[in-house]
Amino acid sequence: MMTLIVPIAANNAEYAHKLPKPFRQDDEGTMLCVKAITGLPMDVIQDIYFVILKEHDQRFMLKEQLEMQFRKYRLANAHVTILDEPTASQVETVARAIELNGVTGLVFIKDADCYFTTDEILPQNGVAIYPLENLPIVDPQHKSYVAVDDMFYVTNIIEKRVVSHFFSAGGYCFEDATEFCRYYDRLKNYSPLYLSHVIYSMLLDKKIFRPIQIEDYQDWAVTRVN
Amino acid sequence: MKLDIQGHSGCDISIVTEDNELHIHKSTHDPGYVPRLVNQANKQIAAAQTEYQHIRVPKIFEVEQSSTDATIKMEYIYSKNFVEYFENAGFEQIKYLIGAIKYFIDLEINASTMQTVPSNILTDKMADVARKVEKNAHLKDDAEAQELVRRSSEVMNAVGDMVMPVGTCHGDLTFSNILFNGNNYYLIDFLDSFIESPLLDIVKIRQDTAYLWSTLMYHKPFDKVRLSIVSEKIDKAIDEYFTAKYDWYRTYYMPLQLMNFLRILQYGKDDKVIAYLKRVIAGQLDVLNNPKTA
Repeated sequence: MMTLIVPIAANNAEYAHKLPKPFRQDDEGTMLCVKAITGLPMDVIQDIYFVILKEHDQRFMLKEQLEMQFRKYRLANAHVTILDEPTASQVETVARAIELNGVTGLVFIKDADCYFTTDEILPQNGVAIYPLENLPIVDPQHKSYVAVDDMFYVTNIIEKRVVSHFFSAGGYCFEDATEFCRYYDRLKNYSPLYLSHVIYSMLLDKKIFRPIQIEDYQDWAVTRVN
Repeated sequence: MKLDIQGHSGCDISIVTEDNELHIHKSTHDPGYVPRLVNQANKQIAAAQTEYQHIRVPKIFEVEQSSTDATIKMEYIYSKNFVEYFENAGFEQIKYLIGAIKYFIDLEINASTMQTVPSNILTDKMADVARKVEKNAHLKDDAEAQELVRRSSEVMNAVGDMVMPVGTCHGDLTFSNILFNGNNYYLIDFLDSFIESPLLDIVKIRQDTAYLWSTLMYHKPFDKVRLSIVSEKIDKAIDEYFTAKYDWYRTYYMPLQLMNFLRILQYGKDDKVIAYLKRVIAGQLDVLNNPKTA
């Protein structure tokens, strides 16, 4: 079993008067950040944490809205974690969620601004990948790219440099939440810090990552959300 | 066909096509620089005689020299600079690079002999730095720089005679003097060093891995966080490897790294670079005066 974390704590000047995009609803009334996880195999997920900012919650009543969505989609194991202060990066948001909720063991991080389906998430370090050529429209500069070898081991991951035809599709699996936090502690003074930096740092330390192959990828945002 | 490009040393560098082969012509028209460029060529020719596994040296085809000019004609290497290389390198390529650096320096150590470097080599060099800082228009009225030089002189006076391998070194082994071609690393811009020791090559490579010096000279956009992560990884691996093996490394690395940065400071012109150098030197002095902060 694993813990799923959905970080949505990015702050942005426009959110002072505008609902952050991941909390907007599709035509069926589903919040995009909730829709973002519906393609995952729910049977292996123990707890789900949507991590939001206090000021967004106060401005847009997000906790109540999210809990209504949880009821609608019968996500009894979903919770809202509210951060008092904005974080410096998505990595920090995840580390704070792990710390605040006492998460241990396998953790899956899902970006709130995209959707994909996958049948299986193995209990190992992994990165969801998708081939560029399967997208009708590509915005290459807002993606990170993942190089894999012939036996499907991840050898490289980098922001905004097209080193591979696979891009990171917004899903990241870490075998050990505590280890993730150790890497966050080591790298927290770097800015801007991305999950790809954490993964690359782990690769340099001989941690093994496998690609998670996904289908039905949909990208809802150009900018990434924390 | 001739294409002019910018070099690091102030020499003119041209890419020349001859018989469908690309060559590099590196030349100087400064009579004062002629001996230095010729020495550089001779050092490179000597280094090219040795097999260094993944470390390679571009072949020199010809050295033309007069009293006022010199031109080195050498092999053109299809390559990437260190920033582009690190941005594209998977973890296993970084591992190869670390292995290659260790192997190269170990070969240099094996080709050297343990010798006593008299204390005055360091103290004379320190006095020379103090004179140049005093004359440097950007530093002579800088009380902080003067104080750093004074504190550094105390450190250098206390080092004494140094026993270390002497005999061979590249002389300026920074990342900007390495051309990256896949898992082959071509060394260029060999220089005479004030102590011809492999330890000085470790000092120069750690000038980049520990202090990110060459990134200050890189003006295109790049992922600074990733480069820092890679540099830190390489630095830790090199430091741990040589710390475990050699007493002379443990003893003399820090004073020589301090001297290395003082020798850069003495020619400082750019306020931003001077501020960076002063920060680094102050940090090194803190470590030398209180090793527990290292």
